[in-house]
Amino acid sequence: MSTEIHRLLDEAFAGVELDPQTQDLKEEIRANLLARVDELEASGATPAEAARRAIDELGDVRELLGGPDAAGATAGEAAAQGSEPGGRRPEPRFDATAFAQHRVRPRPAFVLRTVLFGVVAAVALALFGLGVTSLVSIGVAGLLGLAALVAVPLGMLTADALLQETTHNHPLPRQRAAGFGAATGVALAALALAGAFAAYPDDTALVIAAALLAVVAVAVFAWLGATQTNRHKAWTRSAAEQLSPNRFEEDPEAAARFGIYTVVIWLVALGVIVALGLTVGWWWGLLAVVGGLAATMLVLARMLFRPRPPGG
Amino acid sequence: MAQQEALAADLLRGHTDTIVLGVLRGGDRYGFEIFKTIRDATGGAHEIKEATLYATYRRLEKDGLVEAYWGDETQGGRRKYYRITDAGRAVYRSNVATWVATRRVIDSLLNLTETSERGADR
Repeated sequence: MSTEIHRLLDEAFAGVELDPQTQDLKEEIRANLLARVDELEASGATPAEAARRAIDELGDVRELLGGPDAAGATAGEAAAQGSEPGGRRPEPRFDATAFAQHRVRPRPAFVLRTVLFGVVAAVALALFGLGVTSLVSIGVAGLLGLAALVAVPLGMLTADALLQETTHNHPLPRQRAAGFGAATGVALAALALAGAFAAYPDDTALVIAAALLAVVAVAVFAWLGATQTNRHKAWTRSAAEQLSPNRFEEDPEAAARFGIYTVVIWLVALGVIVALGLTVGWWWGLLAVVGGLAATMLVLARMLFRPRPPGG
Repeated sequence: MAQQEALAADLLRGHTDTIVLGVLRGGDRYGFEIFKTIRDATGGAHEIKEATLYATYRRLEKDGLVEAYWGDETQGGRRKYYRITDAGRAVYRSNVATWVATRRVIDSLLNLTETSERGADR
């Protein structure tokens, strides 16, 4: 392979300003040209001929760069950068027209299924709770049956919901939706088995099964999370781009400060819990939890949604 | 005959996005592989230009229907691979459904259904 194609590519991009996007496109084109040159040479063309043909087939690169998308993006960025000199962005506005245009109403059959699954799971969960607290004598087998009646309907409900097209999202492919549903069901089953173990501490098989199921659920969730791709609709994405970022996105230092404040608040709360527990009784420790939560929320409100100083 | 081919190319170009999504459904590909798949399917004719494809990739990426990533080739150029997203799969399915419905209507309007083919033979 000669270096001819690289020379021709540079020539084609001569006089074009190489911003990162253009550089990106040039490298993408380079790899594709090399593959085409290989193909032409394999079918008997000389290296110089192959390079010349490959670049001719590409056409004028200026056409690729001057597409309507590129122009729109550049204009949009320029407008975003140049608009407000004080660094303030235009007010985020809820685009009601776009929302109405893309509105997807839930299907009645789906709503009915969700309600039925929910009712079954709620009844089973209530009975399970009674069984665990020994208010009603159910037995291990009965508890396991109820656990299945909680886990299976809620898993199916999860999968069913992910398969629905919504106003903002495309439906998930069937296999992935089934995966999320199964993982949810397994995680709930693990929780239920741990609950049953609390009621029957002699039955170690329960806690072993719970641990195994928990590991499986974590593994499946991790795999699903790692392989997750975009499922938002195009209009959702463009609407999200227009919204101004929140303070933590604009100012990572504020986010870091908030993290440290949170740790401090909860360390103090933990100390108070221990102090209260050892002096007046452990139930009073709940007061410290409530206090810690309230303090965290107040700090969050002050830091994330900072009041604008008058006059910008 | 030449006019017929031009019409087919026009029709084909109108479905470039769906075609690219369809190619990517089988696995991640880079530009030249996608181009080659389309070229081979059209019998070697350059029905969809490479330039059109670059614009298509950019649009699909902006709409979140595909994701791009660079391969780790050590020699030659690094290849930019495209991967279809869940949104891309959903759009592909709905576009295919639209096409099938449209094709049925056109077939029936052009009398290409079985009964009329018998009529045409007559």
